[in-house]
Amino acid sequence: MKTLLIFFGMAAVTYFTRVAMMVALGKELPSILRRWLAYVPAAVLAALVAPAALAPQGRLAWGARGWASALGAWVAWRTRSVFWTILAGLAAFHLLRSLGLD
Amino acid sequence: MAATLPLWPGIIAFALLYGMMARQAGLSPWQAALMSMMVHAGSSQFTAVGMWATAAPLAIILTTLVVNLRHLLMGASVAPYVSHLPTRWKALLALWMSDESFALAISEYRRGSGTHWYFFGANAGIWLIWAPAGWLGAVLGAAIPSPEDFGLDLVFPLAFLGLLVSFIQDRIGLVVAVGSGALALAAAQLLPGNGYVIVAGVLGGCLGLLLERWHQA
Repeated sequence: MKTLLIFFGMAAVTYFTRVAMMVALGKELPSILRRWLAYVPAAVLAALVAPAALAPQGRLAWGARGWASALGAWVAWRTRSVFWTILAGLAAFHLLRSLGLD
Repeated sequence: MAATLPLWPGIIAFALLYGMMARQAGLSPWQAALMSMMVHAGSSQFTAVGMWATAAPLAIILTTLVVNLRHLLMGASVAPYVSHLPTRWKALLALWMSDESFALAISEYRRGSGTHWYFFGANAGIWLIWAPAGWLGAVLGAAIPSPEDFGLDLVFPLAFLGLLVSFIQDRIGLVVAVGSGALALAAAQLLPGNGYVIVAGVLGGCLGLLLERWHQA
């Protein structure tokens, strides 16, 4: 029972973070907010990538993940395909790892 | 939903690991799966099972809130694209919005081909696999190798890179992306948890505005 209550609490606060802005922001946004929002997705995506690629253990470290991500960025730019980006990045990561780079 | 398939290896690997950790924390496989179905937010679930044995319920719930605050930013960025929908649609789209499905949906919207059905399909495609794979992880227990050993932790960053390019339409977009990445790296050293996503998201948006103004002047 306690377990279920914790799950409900976690689900409720998580749902709040997801639904709040979608419902609160209507059609008529001030222009400055609208233009700010136009840049937020790129900023969020870049923020999700950079530490995972360049600081996988929490410390800044350029290694196989950095090289694989750099290749991934190039493939992403050329192909605009999520599928090929993942495939090229993972292939590069495994090749570099098998060569002893970490 | 098909657009989520390239992400499945990464999701399955992390769900297996989550299930294994949930089991070690004392949750049954069904409880682990139920949490996945109800909460559907990977990093906060990892944090929760890590705290499970020692922390008070309220502490677990509040930590979940803090870990998931980044969704406020994601919700705000999709808001203009869903503002024409009735509230029940917004409520449904918010239910299963994950980092991954948000990224797929917002880039599809940006290309002009996004619809709420695509958004819903991306949400559902991730939701459908997350809980069963977590259940399996809890059943298998300690036998699961870490996703890092296979580089599967790279699946999400690579997918985000693939989606990021659709937002870089000019030099300002490029500077915003590179600047936000650098900001996130710096903030990740200073802030606990994933606060760096919020900091870099908010400041990256401001950077874009500043560059726009500077460009016009």
